[in-house]
Amino acid sequence: MKRLLLTGNGAAAWGARLAQVDYIPAFPITPQTEIIEAIGQWIDNGEMAGRMVTLESEHSMITAAGAAAATGVRVFSATSSQGLLYGMEMLFTVAGWRAPFVLANVSRGLSAPITLEPDHNDILAARDSGFLQIHCSTCQEVLDSTIIAYKLGEDAGVRLPVIVNQDGFYLSFTREPVEVPDQEQVAKFLGQFDPENTRFRASTPESQAVAVLGGAPYSYFRYESHLAALNAIKVYDRIADEYEQLFGRRYDAVESYRCEDAEYLFVMLGSFATKAKAAVDQLREAGWRIGLLRPRLLRPFPEKLFQQTLTVTKGVAVIDQNISMGKGGVLYTELASVLAGSTEPAPLLVSFIGGLGGRDITPEEFYEMAEVTKKAVQEGQAPPPRLLYTETDLRETRKLQAIAQAERSELGGSE
Amino acid sequence: MNETRFKNVKALPSTHLLGTGTPMCAGCGGLEALHEIYDILGEKSVFVNAAGCMTLLAIYPFTPFRGSWLYTAMASAPAGAQGIRDALDILLQKGQITPKDDMQVVTLTGDGAAYGMGMSATSGAMERNLDFLYICYDNEGYGNTGQQYSAATPHAAKTTTSCGPQGFFGFKKPLFDIWAAHRPAYVATVIGAEPLDLARKIEKAKELKGPRLIIALSPCPTGWDFDPREAIEIGKLAVKTGIWPLKEYVNGEVVHTKLPKKRLPVERYLEKQGRFAHLFTPQRNEELLTEIQERVDRYWAEMANP
Amino acid sequence: MFRIRFHGRGGQGMKTASRILGTAFFIEGYEIQDAPRYGAERRGAPIFAYVRAALEPINERGVIQHPDLVIVADDTLVPAPAAGVLAGADEHTVLLINSHEEKEIWKERLNLQGPMLILPILEEVEDRAELPFIGATCAGAAARLVGVISRPSLEQAIHDELEHLGQAIVEKNLHKSLEAYDLMAEQSGSATPSPVRSAQVWENPGWIELPFEDACLSTPTIHAGATSEMLKTGLWRTMRPVIDYEHCNRCWWICSTFCPDGAIPVKEDGYPEIDYEHCKGCLICVAQCPPHAIAAIPEHKFQEDAPEGEES
Repeated sequence: MKRLLLTGNGAAAWGARLAQVDYIPAFPITPQTEIIEAIGQWIDNGEMAGRMVTLESEHSMITAAGAAAATGVRVFSATSSQGLLYGMEMLFTVAGWRAPFVLANVSRGLSAPITLEPDHNDILAARDSGFLQIHCSTCQEVLDSTIIAYKLGEDAGVRLPVIVNQDGFYLSFTREPVEVPDQEQVAKFLGQFDPENTRFRASTPESQAVAVLGGAPYSYFRYESHLAALNAIKVYDRIADEYEQLFGRRYDAVESYRCEDAEYLFVMLGSFATKAKAAVDQLREAGWRIGLLRPRLLRPFPEKLFQQTLTVTKGVAVIDQNISMGKGGVLYTELASVLAGSTEPAPLLVSFIGGLGGRDITPEEFYEMAEVTKKAVQEGQAPPPRLLYTETDLRETRKLQAIAQAERSELGGSE
Repeated sequence: MNETRFKNVKALPSTHLLGTGTPMCAGCGGLEALHEIYDILGEKSVFVNAAGCMTLLAIYPFTPFRGSWLYTAMASAPAGAQGIRDALDILLQKGQITPKDDMQVVTLTGDGAAYGMGMSATSGAMERNLDFLYICYDNEGYGNTGQQYSAATPHAAKTTTSCGPQGFFGFKKPLFDIWAAHRPAYVATVIGAEPLDLARKIEKAKELKGPRLIIALSPCPTGWDFDPREAIEIGKLAVKTGIWPLKEYVNGEVVHTKLPKKRLPVERYLEKQGRFAHLFTPQRNEELLTEIQERVDRYWAEMANP
Repeated sequence: MFRIRFHGRGGQGMKTASRILGTAFFIEGYEIQDAPRYGAERRGAPIFAYVRAALEPINERGVIQHPDLVIVADDTLVPAPAAGVLAGADEHTVLLINSHEEKEIWKERLNLQGPMLILPILEEVEDRAELPFIGATCAGAAARLVGVISRPSLEQAIHDELEHLGQAIVEKNLHKSLEAYDLMAEQSGSATPSPVRSAQVWENPGWIELPFEDACLSTPTIHAGATSEMLKTGLWRTMRPVIDYEHCNRCWWICSTFCPDGAIPVKEDGYPEIDYEHCKGCLICVAQCPPHAIAAIPEHKFQEDAPEGEES
């Protein structure tokens, strides 16, 4: 074991290297490219044994990844944002093949307008694809989750591909100290990928991913994928225990930070959640009984874990770094469904939308969200969803708009 | 290349590997070509399919293949072939499978995928020198959805999206040339109605390494509007009129494998198909007929004097 | 609500039948639904189309489970389970078969509880795939059987649906359709509407908990080869190629190679043999056989001549 300074991208690459992946279909896209560059260099230096092939698109890349996994090798791939969307048809498709592999996604806001910094609309667009999703908040977690993802996806009771998500810039380009486990130990933990009876061999021919016509068999296959994803919660817990024993780091399906005795909670995904942790510490200092719940597993959705913690609190600030146009935050909707279905008193959910396109969230904003949530509980009524947006944000935008809208003459141009 | 096993028609296979019972139309020219190809290729193969008529060959739990199959999507069958080929190579290299478990990796798509949506993936596979065989069954339109025009539709043909008096305004995309420009190991045109020529080409392609691509013109009773029993006759006429040149690209050269001694007028081919009926009734469209004939003539003139 | 199903083969115009009937109901002031049901199969394969008609808005959707009237354009489909002609038919269902054979023969053969009618085949053709105007004929018969569609409404419906094919074709269809309409005069109103399923008492749908199964079972993968041979596509055939071995000169490669379906294997003695379980009847072999040793025989004739139970 060694401790290195790694970016989130570097950590993802290390995860793939330690998993001793056989095959890496690739396609460059900011802010993910560093992952495939690192792997490419290791392979060229002979430090890593896999085979990397750059395809001509993410759509092809995910096809090749799924096809190789369906042939029975261990596959890693990586993408981001528009790339994930370009491959979206194949995300749904290869998940239906039940061909397990790991796809690193580096979250970045979606076009239009095209942008570079992160939010979660890319990864949430893949929510219903059949891929399992692990969301990371630190570079260490990226590395560990990549290894865990192989164990999870390849399990005979799961057999589904897994996306390991990290935020662009905030993790992808940010170096942090990361403990890199020993290769031998990881190999022992993971074992070899056993594709069982679903793989291509001349001696045991089979037709995979064939058309299924008729509602009854189609429903069966689709629902079995769902049941496999649900089963992955149980399998994940077992793997998390094993990982902790071997490597000393614990990753629950939902990270629960200072939630015991909490009256209020923040709930959010990804790297910005560490900002929420800092806010929780400060708010506790100031006398609040508040904590943070951060789903690591988004698919499958650890519903029971949420129910247990949420139902004993008074108010929950759900912070969505995404937006479903015409509805609002996606995580908010998901949590609301956890609390529905029972006449028991439930905590009040308050929806906040922030961090779109990498817009920062300040400590004061966390404090204020806690305050708004508390007030809503006292009044028994949640306010409408709040976009985290200040006078300063608007002023900055107005400046740009003035230029964009200006008459040519005002800018000294000639006509 | 060694001498062919197929010296004459009597050498053609008399038993057939591809299973019966498929849902392809009666008289399907694509299935015709495929079953002839499969006989030569053999069951040590994995077919990677893109959306099209032949996606319906394998409907759970029925498949006509004795070897393997993977359905991908309309645009990315060559990328699926890449994944399988690479994975098999890795397994071979690591000694996790023996050569007897290796397979020919075959992409099977219609013209919709080959001439259009999948072209980028095919170009990519060739540029990466992928060791695979690509079979395009070309029925000159989006057949599985009822024959709308595609990039493979010939000039003046009537389709459900080109039903005016002039038929299709565009021209068939020169896919053979586009593929050959990548300088792959092999490119050939075939047709089920010329099984000996087809068998020799598949035999050759099977022995080569690298990208090998085959376009099979597939007379389509449903989409071209003719009596299924005419499928072979129409296929033969496609060759005899010179509108479907049988050729191959190998070692950097294009060779015509079946030269029509005396080319029949292209009308003979067109008049048998409902999709060209508007060229003959209620009155002959001399302008279009001449234009089509001249294009064919020009092709063969250029071929003779490149 | 009226619920009517038309059964035929791909290419016989069952969609047209459903549309003519749908339009005729519509002209009579009914709310209607008409739709064809396509599968993966093609020309010659069994298909069906259906019509719902009611004087109140129709909320039912999709395939008709319990028809009031079933019309079969091609009687060779009736005995084939895969065609699903009799699906959901009960004592209330009127079955109308377009056939040469007598009602008594069908009654005995099918042993059904519901009323049965025969639409005599007025003009036989060799190849049933080309049954002329059969869609309009079936629609005409159906229009009379439901008893609420007038002759002028049927005429108007045929004009509306077939106008684009030209006057001559409209005229021929009109003739055939009205002929069938008139033929059914005595049975007018014999197909009666049935109510929607009551919510007073109902049969429990019997939901189950779908068990979780490992991927090695629950993946849409076929672990065997050539399973398609279990599908008897011979059912699609309307014309049967028959080899006259007297004249066959054993140049097998032609029929055997050119059969798109690979349904003509060559026997050890060098003679080709047609696999009738799978031959779809494209007749390429008939067209290509150099000594013309393969003849095409109408499938319905063959079936009528064959003793019971001998059909493949």
